[in-house]
Amino acid sequence: MKNIIFLLLIIAFSCSTNKEMVNEVNLYSQRHYAVDELQYKNFTEKTGIKVNVVKSNADELIERLKNEGENSPADLFVTVDAGKLYNARESGVLQKIPSNAINENIRKDILDSDGYWAPITYRARIVVYSNERVGKSDLSTYEDLANPKWKNKLLVRSSSNAYNQALMSSIVANLGVSTTESWAKGLVSNFARDPKGSDRDQVKAIAAGQGDLAIVNSYYIGLLLASEKEEEINAGKSVSIFFPNQGYGERGSHINISALGLTKNSPNKENAIKLIQYLTSEEAQEVYVNNSYEYPANSLVQPSDVVRAWGEFKIDKLNLNALGEYRPEAIKIFDKAGWK
Amino acid sequence: MEIKSKLLLIENKRWVIVSVLLSMLVILPIFILFFSFFSSGKETLFYLFETVLLDYTLNTVYLIFLTSFFALIFGIFPAWVISNYSFKGRSFFDIALYLPLAIPSYIMGFTYIEILSFTGPIQTFVRSNFPSLSNLVNQDYLQIEILGIILGLALYPYVYTASRISFSMIGSNYLNISKNMGLSNFQSFFKVVLPLSRPAIFSGLFLVIMEVLNEYGAVKYFGVNTYTTGIFRSWNSFGDVNGAIQLASILLVVVLIFFLIERLSLKKSRFYYNKNTQLNIRYVSSGIKSFFYWVICLIPFGFGFFIPFIFIFNNSIETFYLADLSKVINLTWNSVSVSSIASLLVIFFALFFLYVERISKSKINFYISNIISLGYALPGAVIALSLMIFFKGSLLVGTFGVLLFAYVIRFLAVGKSPIQSSLEKQPESFDETGKNLGLGPYSLLKKIHLPINKFALISAFIVAFIDILKELPITLILSPFNFDTLATQTYEFAVEEMLPLSSIYSLIIIVLGSLMLLILKNYIDKQINVSKS
Repeated sequence: MKNIIFLLLIIAFSCSTNKEMVNEVNLYSQRHYAVDELQYKNFTEKTGIKVNVVKSNADELIERLKNEGENSPADLFVTVDAGKLYNARESGVLQKIPSNAINENIRKDILDSDGYWAPITYRARIVVYSNERVGKSDLSTYEDLANPKWKNKLLVRSSSNAYNQALMSSIVANLGVSTTESWAKGLVSNFARDPKGSDRDQVKAIAAGQGDLAIVNSYYIGLLLASEKEEEINAGKSVSIFFPNQGYGERGSHINISALGLTKNSPNKENAIKLIQYLTSEEAQEVYVNNSYEYPANSLVQPSDVVRAWGEFKIDKLNLNALGEYRPEAIKIFDKAGWK
Repeated sequence: MEIKSKLLLIENKRWVIVSVLLSMLVILPIFILFFSFFSSGKETLFYLFETVLLDYTLNTVYLIFLTSFFALIFGIFPAWVISNYSFKGRSFFDIALYLPLAIPSYIMGFTYIEILSFTGPIQTFVRSNFPSLSNLVNQDYLQIEILGIILGLALYPYVYTASRISFSMIGSNYLNISKNMGLSNFQSFFKVVLPLSRPAIFSGLFLVIMEVLNEYGAVKYFGVNTYTTGIFRSWNSFGDVNGAIQLASILLVVVLIFFLIERLSLKKSRFYYNKNTQLNIRYVSSGIKSFFYWVICLIPFGFGFFIPFIFIFNNSIETFYLADLSKVINLTWNSVSVSSIASLLVIFFALFFLYVERISKSKINFYISNIISLGYALPGAVIALSLMIFFKGSLLVGTFGVLLFAYVIRFLAVGKSPIQSSLEKQPESFDETGKNLGLGPYSLLKKIHLPINKFALISAFIVAFIDILKELPITLILSPFNFDTLATQTYEFAVEEMLPLSSIYSLIIIVLGSLMLLILKNYIDKQINVSKS
């Protein structure tokens, strides 16, 4: 008995954190892609600074930062949603990033006006449509998706999904609550089926004829086209990409960013800044576009060939913090409209 | 006065005190949830109550009904057939029917939808060979009913295990009597065997229901909004942690009530089948009957294990050239080591609490050993949350200690169940004899209960190990830096809609789990035989 308790105590205490000074930087990251591992490896080779990562969902990581308080080992909080960075900042777990830390060639229109986070890539949430059953000229804006002409034709995943929540937040921010509410009701009445599945499943459902158009993130089309399976490539080819709200005077397509936030109590601030500098540099940005279908934040870098083939588009210049600020309103609109 | 005299009556007070202190450790994080129920704002809670929560709750009830229905069908009938009849393939199925437990339920969901999808093998095959039938198979398979079947397939082994042991122990005495009274096999199954096995089946079903309650990955994918969706709507959508905690506390209270009802009703019906010493006679059957039994066993095994396994296996071979082998080995080591240590802790705690309940015979310990099971009904993310709050401001979160601690809270119920049923079968006279021989509680445990409950302890280790191997949210949230497991890597690919790349990692989970289940099977057989001889 005593032996066992002793053993348990050893297990418990041998696990406490190691506080000796090491040349490292600690990340709490919502991103978990192969390209990230590659970036960190390159950074370590270049600078000798070790990159340590905990990967989890954004809200859970914010909660961990909040509860760890001053003792938090984390230096950077990495997300794929500006809304979560807004929440993190509101929770008081971020600090401003020194302005010289972010590469000067990062697009100005996706920077945080308050300087709490540094964008590394962005993605667009756009419309894909069946080449067979929908003409490009029938498409125009997000607003138009609520038009009764799309009745039983529209596919989209559930409102629990953060990408949909960010899109809805952007529409609330642009159009106001009551206009968005009636838009959402119209949209829901156009659904071909209850919201479910992944973005990729929406594209497959178009190929299967269960609907004619879908709201998805652009890079999932890239993934389908790069699939190992012929049938999936065919599904990817059966649809085309449409960037909404591109007309004169229209606001542009909704985008969201992947970005780095500097934590309030960052113990390795200098290294964190070096990593921000590196990941926003042209060199690292090239690595992102060559290994994913995201758009680079650095204006000197071009997206990959597959992505460029979809054409250039105008982005919604909304302050991206609005994606967090209007999120609670957005959720309520989902529920009111019956978007499951 | 009365309380004092009651306290004096408790035997082995020192053990009781230690057990109360230790239980605090296990229960406190969960109770923190209750405290914040009263201390914080309830805006989100009320909002959800007024809008979607009723709908979510009804979905949960419906999903529980569907899953239980299929888990009972897939669990009870094969268990009955295997316990009582001899037919070709019986010994194979006796092992194989446990295997679906090795597949994480959300992987089962993702895999089936991939198999059934427009670009999956079935529809592709039908389109190119029987074009006229292609509309027939081109359906939307993301339905709550399909999810119920899939969860039933993933979880029926809990019912199967419990029924299998129970049916084998009922033995032939009861059956002979019922036959003499003129009941057919069919009738005696429904009128005698099922009622006698009710407690066992119910305990298996209880695990199934708890799994459905905390399931999130598959329900989200299927677009089925359950009560757990509500918890995460508050946390991940509204950013309101307190709302999530309040919803989780309500869930806990409901589960606790059901749990106590179950325990109390079990107390009455225990030991019904205990003293039967005669071996079961297996009726040899042939021809059509034998084929019928074979099909009864084939369906749950085929759909619950074989098909998804082959699909995942095939995917891993196709993507093998992309796999990073040193990473595969590293993650396998991480998974195996952390699951082993955590499972050891689970059986240590489970045995301790149950043993103290037995030797003290106190009400306190009866409640303790039930309350510590509650962690199993909570989504892992909520347990992780309670520990982050519990260790607020310390450096402990992100250490292996806290990660292991969280696993213990979450999976105590799993490890407890085999130990409990084994301990309950040991007659009180063992303890009395031990006492008369001058054995203290510790020697009694070491010299009598450890050896005679050895198989149950090993079974408990294995079931906990398999569950921890599959565990996802706790590992993600409380993980130390640079600590990935097979389960987290599987999830990262699956959630990014790259299922083929996840398959090598899920395959290893399934193979490791299956190996453990084979060992488990061996021990269950021994348990069945021990209780008969």
